[in-house]
Amino acid sequence: MVDVSQHKLVPEHTLVDEEAVDEVLQEYNVERTNLPKIKRKDPAVPDEAESGDVVRIVRDSRTTDQAVVYRLVIE
Amino acid sequence: MQTPKEIGGIRFGLMDPETYRDMSATKVITADTYDDDGYPIDMGLMDPRLGVIDPGLECRTCGQHSGSCNGHFGHIELAAPVIHVGFTKLIRRLLRSTCRQCGRLALTDDEQAEFRSRMQRAEELSEDWSDVMKAAVRQARKAKRCPHCNEPQHDIKHEKPTTYYEVQDVLSGEYSELIAEAMQPDEEEDREGMAPQELAEKTDIDLQRVNQILSGEFRPRKEDRKAIEKALSIDLTVEDMNKLMPSDIRDWFEDIPNDDMETLGIDSERARPEWMILTVLPVPPVTARPSITLDNGQRSEDDLTHKLVDIIRINQRFMENREAGAPQLIIEDLWELLQYHVTTFIDNEISGTPPARHRSGRPLKTLSQRLKGKEGRFRGSLSGKRVNFSARTVISPDPTLSLNEVGVPDRVASEMTQTMNVTERNIEEAQQYVRNGPESHPGANYVKRPDGRRLKVTEKNCEELAEKVELGWEVNRHLVDGDIVIFNRQPSLHRMSIMAHEVVVMPYKTFRLNTVVCPPYNADFDGDEMNMHALQNEEARAEARVLMRVQEQILSPRFGENIIGAIQDHISGTYLLTHENPHFTETQALDLLRATRVDELPEPDGEEDGKAYWTGHSIFSELLPDDLSLEFSSSTGDDVLIEDGQLLGGTIDEDAVGAFGGEIVDTITKVYSETRARIFVNEISSLAMRAIMHFGFSIGIDDESIPEEAGEQVDEAIENAYERIEELIDTYDAGELESLPGRTVDETLEMKIMQTLGKARDSAGEIADDHFGDDNPAVIMARSGARGSMLNLTQMAGCVGQQAVRGERINRGYEDRTLSHYKPNDLSAEAHGFVENSYRGGLTPREFFFHAMGGREGLVDTAVRTSKSGYLQRRLINALSELETQYDGTVRDTSGTIVQFEFGEDGTSPVKVSSSKDNDIDVDSIADRVMDAEFDDEATRQQFLGREEPPTNLSEHAEPRLSDARAPEVESDD
Repeated sequence: MVDVSQHKLVPEHTLVDEEAVDEVLQEYNVERTNLPKIKRKDPAVPDEAESGDVVRIVRDSRTTDQAVVYRLVIE
Repeated sequence: MQTPKEIGGIRFGLMDPETYRDMSATKVITADTYDDDGYPIDMGLMDPRLGVIDPGLECRTCGQHSGSCNGHFGHIELAAPVIHVGFTKLIRRLLRSTCRQCGRLALTDDEQAEFRSRMQRAEELSEDWSDVMKAAVRQARKAKRCPHCNEPQHDIKHEKPTTYYEVQDVLSGEYSELIAEAMQPDEEEDREGMAPQELAEKTDIDLQRVNQILSGEFRPRKEDRKAIEKALSIDLTVEDMNKLMPSDIRDWFEDIPNDDMETLGIDSERARPEWMILTVLPVPPVTARPSITLDNGQRSEDDLTHKLVDIIRINQRFMENREAGAPQLIIEDLWELLQYHVTTFIDNEISGTPPARHRSGRPLKTLSQRLKGKEGRFRGSLSGKRVNFSARTVISPDPTLSLNEVGVPDRVASEMTQTMNVTERNIEEAQQYVRNGPESHPGANYVKRPDGRRLKVTEKNCEELAEKVELGWEVNRHLVDGDIVIFNRQPSLHRMSIMAHEVVVMPYKTFRLNTVVCPPYNADFDGDEMNMHALQNEEARAEARVLMRVQEQILSPRFGENIIGAIQDHISGTYLLTHENPHFTETQALDLLRATRVDELPEPDGEEDGKAYWTGHSIFSELLPDDLSLEFSSSTGDDVLIEDGQLLGGTIDEDAVGAFGGEIVDTITKVYSETRARIFVNEISSLAMRAIMHFGFSIGIDDESIPEEAGEQVDEAIENAYERIEELIDTYDAGELESLPGRTVDETLEMKIMQTLGKARDSAGEIADDHFGDDNPAVIMARSGARGSMLNLTQMAGCVGQQAVRGERINRGYEDRTLSHYKPNDLSAEAHGFVENSYRGGLTPREFFFHAMGGREGLVDTAVRTSKSGYLQRRLINALSELETQYDGTVRDTSGTIVQFEFGEDGTSPVKVSSSKDNDIDVDSIADRVMDAEFDDEATRQQFLGREEPPTNLSEHAEPRLSDARAPEVESDD
């Protein structure tokens, strides 16, 4: 099986721990469910992530060097 | 009428029949509308309690007159319940998922809990809850027996639009015959017979029982039936369809408990399922279905009224028949008819049902048709509607206007008005407008007294009325120079399709606009029409001035560069002015600059024959800001160098001043101000027009002709290509052509031929190019980017080249050949659409035919593209319209869900970012500029640190006009 997370076009997906999640939610003043979503079975999601977790995606951006995005893992 | 100013919320749901009756102003029982004297009949469809439409009459429910009474609903008591067509799918789902006996959802408590939590989750994640509902229905439908009362469940068949059947598989009445026949040996189907003993063994049924079954004395039970079916591979069942009448369904739905409904996502407080079966029909108020009186005095009723008449008639017949004890068959027919009329009253475009028609054969426009589609209530009356204070006419060019202005015909200006609130400061002005009357131009059409009374200004009463105007009155005066209006050309594809202009009132009938605003509107003057809207309150006028004025839209958010700039002849003009840097005498130089606000020439560049001269470069430089420094390469191919506002070298062409990213316009807009850019674009276009008129610029047929020897060279180049193609074909015929990787031999041959012909045309182009002088107007236009390309020139003078359909040489027509003029399987160039002649030389008939084929494809392509992209755009706009950038920089939809954590990932607007061709942000020059500003002197530094906003320029009437020969106070905000 190909591990897509090693592909150069797949940005880095990391699991965010609960404390950091609270910080993010506080920063943007949102509920967890207001974050963009990502499917649990998405091959880029880290294996240990479960639905309800939040992943941080750091991707290269044409306008800013790196853009940070958070997504809620759903089933 | 009191209109609510604020809507707290909207709830959608079904309505209880009791509520219908409560809110009904009257019961409607007669199908007649008016009596012989023309008065509405009581309890008829036009009952005066349902509202009034005739002026002068009083509403019997609310006592108001027509216009202020909104109308009131009535109701019809239906003789029998009927199904509401809008809910047939939901009814089907409920029938399939609930128990026919106890009405409970056919899911165990555990399953219900699971679906409830899924439903809740879907709601939290703002996903589509109807998917969960569908899943629950699918699950419940699987149940053979009700998990609550153990009643066996049947499949529901839905016959569109409004009939439901319960389907049961029952034993066929002819089961014994069917079994006996299957047991007989059959030669044709190569089947051996089966003895009763054998059947008994195979099916595990007692032999005696088998014989009883065979004789038809005993009906096999379900298990036995299945065993026999399996052993003999036959089907013993028939479907039994039991029609569910609407009243049955209503009884069934009444039993569904509220809790079970919740699992399906239905709030039973607002929508009990039995309310989907109508027992009482609301009658819309007469104001929603007004009748019109024709010229001959005949009344013509609305489509809805016609439909209601049908419903009442059938309803009455139904009741009469039932009371008379008519046979069931007739009752059922009438019931179906009633169902049909109620169905078409709600929706007259149901598939499978013939639409109800008017006497003339036109299908009736009933409730659903009023709402649906482009002309429906939503898209036609709410999202978009017709407006007052708007005008539309043909547009034509006027280069003497500023790009911020629009020429408005006087007859438009005196029809459209602006409201003046009379104060002590403008009372005389206001009186003068009124005194001028409605017909002479800066006049007034209406005045409004403080008590709210509106008086029309007429030629007769204007003098008198002018004296009466006092403080606190309102005067609706005509549009005058300097008023702000909104100007628009459809299709409005981007925000620059709607911009604010300042009015200049002019004679004649067309809107006039400066040619430099053609690119943002995508306008030309071949008959285009545009719309104008006069703004009606101060807030709108202020917003339009600050945000929407043309000069504020110079930079396009699409690509972050200017979309307004010099076009076509302007570019030819600046090219002529700067390319060879010609010399001008004082008179000539002043003439070139006379439409700008420069009225003093700089020091002359030198002397010629004892007379001072000025170069094109220094004349152009007069328009530049004094401290502008730039370096870039032009589309002509040389390097443009500007230092301290002086053009030192290079040609000014499309890349310098053109619309769509002209370097100088772009820089001035970003570094100086929109106002400075507007002045620059206005002046550059006037200078360019003067320049092109000074030199003279025209194009004729002789400008595309090439000398005879050049023509011979072109012929030779084409002849060479033909020879090479012949060689290619020979190698192909000999089977020696090597195919390119991934292609067949035939494809390779085609490609090579196309390549050779392409090269032939290019070399023809080069030959032609060599023979054109640099002063050839077509060449000037192509090089400077004003219009046309070198390819167009090649086709005019050299050779038109290969015609293509679907990206290939022309390969269609007859069998194995394109035209009957050629031999079958002729692979040569001319047989497949190569046009060796030039447009000027003329095409042969066959070439012309091939050219038409290629041309047709181009036309079809553009037609298809516009319609496709229009629909795509509509869908995209609908999907994105509710996204909004919040104050915290995130982009969210209306539910608060984040779409982007930072707008565009960098939180910057494309028009605020300075960029060059390769889209890099020029950090160095920005930093330089910032440092310069910082260390120049303390005052500038303070201004920089204090982030002082540049003054908002509100109108060009507040400053010297371009044509005014006053001192050149070039205001720059730097």
